[in-house]
Amino acid sequence: MVDTIYSVVYALVVYALNLLGPIVPIAPSLGPGLAVWLSYLVVGAIIFAFSLVNVLVFIWWERKLLGRFMDRRGAMHVGYAGLLQNLADGLKLFRKQPFAPKDADELGYYFGPTAYLVMSVMILGLIPLSFGVSGGVVPLSLLVALALFSFAPLFIFIASWSSNNKYSLIGGMRTAAQLVAYEIPLLLAVVGVVALTGSFDLNVIVGDQARYGWFGLPLFLGLLLFFVAMLAEVERIPFDLPEAEAELVEGWSTEFGGMLFAFTMMGDYVRALIGSYLIVLLFLGGWSMPWGLSNFPLSGLVFFQVKTYVVFAIFIWVRASLPRVRTDQLLQIGWKRMLPLAMLNIVWALALVVWGWPTIHWPVL
Amino acid sequence: METKYGKTVKVAAPPPAGVRGIVVQPMALVARQFFKSLWRPSTILYPMKERLENPEFREEVKVESGAPIGVGEIWDNYRGVHALNIKTCISCNLCAFSCPDTCIEMVNVDAGGGKSKKCPQIDYGKCSFCGFCSDACPEGCLTMTPAYTITTNNRKNMVYSPERMFEVFKVKLPQNPTRIALPANEDVILLDQDLCIGCNACARDCPTKCITMIEIPRAEAKPGEKLPKRIWKEPSVNDSECVRCGTCISVCPRECLYWGARK
Repeated sequence: MVDTIYSVVYALVVYALNLLGPIVPIAPSLGPGLAVWLSYLVVGAIIFAFSLVNVLVFIWWERKLLGRFMDRRGAMHVGYAGLLQNLADGLKLFRKQPFAPKDADELGYYFGPTAYLVMSVMILGLIPLSFGVSGGVVPLSLLVALALFSFAPLFIFIASWSSNNKYSLIGGMRTAAQLVAYEIPLLLAVVGVVALTGSFDLNVIVGDQARYGWFGLPLFLGLLLFFVAMLAEVERIPFDLPEAEAELVEGWSTEFGGMLFAFTMMGDYVRALIGSYLIVLLFLGGWSMPWGLSNFPLSGLVFFQVKTYVVFAIFIWVRASLPRVRTDQLLQIGWKRMLPLAMLNIVWALALVVWGWPTIHWPVL
Repeated sequence: METKYGKTVKVAAPPPAGVRGIVVQPMALVARQFFKSLWRPSTILYPMKERLENPEFREEVKVESGAPIGVGEIWDNYRGVHALNIKTCISCNLCAFSCPDTCIEMVNVDAGGGKSKKCPQIDYGKCSFCGFCSDACPEGCLTMTPAYTITTNNRKNMVYSPERMFEVFKVKLPQNPTRIALPANEDVILLDQDLCIGCNACARDCPTKCITMIEIPRAEAKPGEKLPKRIWKEPSVNDSECVRCGTCISVCPRECLYWGARK
């Protein structure tokens, strides 16, 4: 296995330990155990750094595209075409003093945004960026990722409750209602994909799409439902009621400043990144491309990122076009429209299976 | 099509109901805008690229006087930085007198030949660009230009000396504006002959030198009154040359000059 990230990192770590040999005689003798643990750490750091860079570029992408949609230029002064603007903003937030409001519950105030970010970043360990480039091969990675994904309203609610601010609290309540309501169509839209593959492993799902074609085509309804539900899950316009600037100051993150605000912001974009990743992985073929385009070394990594950015561009397009929905409209769309359509999607997927879709990974009953 | 403000304008049809009007149409509109502004957004990069100061730009848009030339550009009669023709300035003080912000100060400038004269100096930190000064200027030497770039990081740089406004004049207004003709029914300077002592102050300070002291017949002495023994003179104002600056009225020690209707 040369092509997984672990084998490469393991070889590098062993080489580094052997280099350390003359200086620290004990290092090579600790054997493969230490090297394995070190390579876990290094892979984790690589994935974390990669996704954080992605988040920064995501924000840049959003600013530039939104600017073009609005007939202006977006960030353009710091770095090439404003690429380093977000880094500068992050440094500014990093230099600020963290403090809690007088009547805030300090434990929840500091814990909420931090846990929100950490829980979002944890999902990235389960998402394969290309074949073999992932935190590990988990047979139920899709299920675990979605489970972790649905943890967010809890931490958002903790953060908003501890802020001791009415706008925060309203935003937190709305987040809880919205995220819980849209969790159901989101998961039901995934069921169609799982029915076609018979597996919760994202690697297997992408492998099936490489073999039989992208699921976005037969399950177009599922793709649409998953996209809309994901828009609501990552709290983006037109479903950004939790931080409706016109009504609630900044929604549930009103009271946060400095690095805590950076955590909430980064958490939002990490979730948007994960949402785009999941859409690409489940419906748009992941890192696979037709006509053997993804057979070159490392091309899968590039194709996966390109697709992710295209999906996020559609997120931005929607944000530039549509107005925010009302709360009643939001829940009406969720429960009255998307839920029956998700059921229809499942029925359609099962019909496909019955009509002879090759489901080689189905467990033997 | 609908008539609005005397023009026939195109009125957009109301959006269709349902998903098509709420989702599809706005997204198509925004996508069109995206491709329109993909390479050249409408933003004018103002501090980096000065469009107005660029003479090529002014030729490009073919500015007609008073006609609006579009969003982001500027009117030709825009009231911006002043241009001052030092050579024709007569130091009449009318600009400083009419300034509501008292931002105009008359300062000495070199008039050539070892002489100096007073010319206006404008503090743009105070100026409200009302244009009263250029309206009041009888010689038409103080005019406003469409130049608006007075931004600076030092407040002292906002004070424009007459020489600096002369530079603006040379760049912006190459033609020499002529003297503005006053209306025929304009008030004129009148003289109360009983009060005048013939002191020559008005003729000395008149910026246009339109006041001449003319000799008048000696007054008849009344019984018991003693008249001074000197040549009797009184000012005579050439109304066609007078710019109505009022300097003579303000310097007259006996307050014998006043405004009045032409007789």
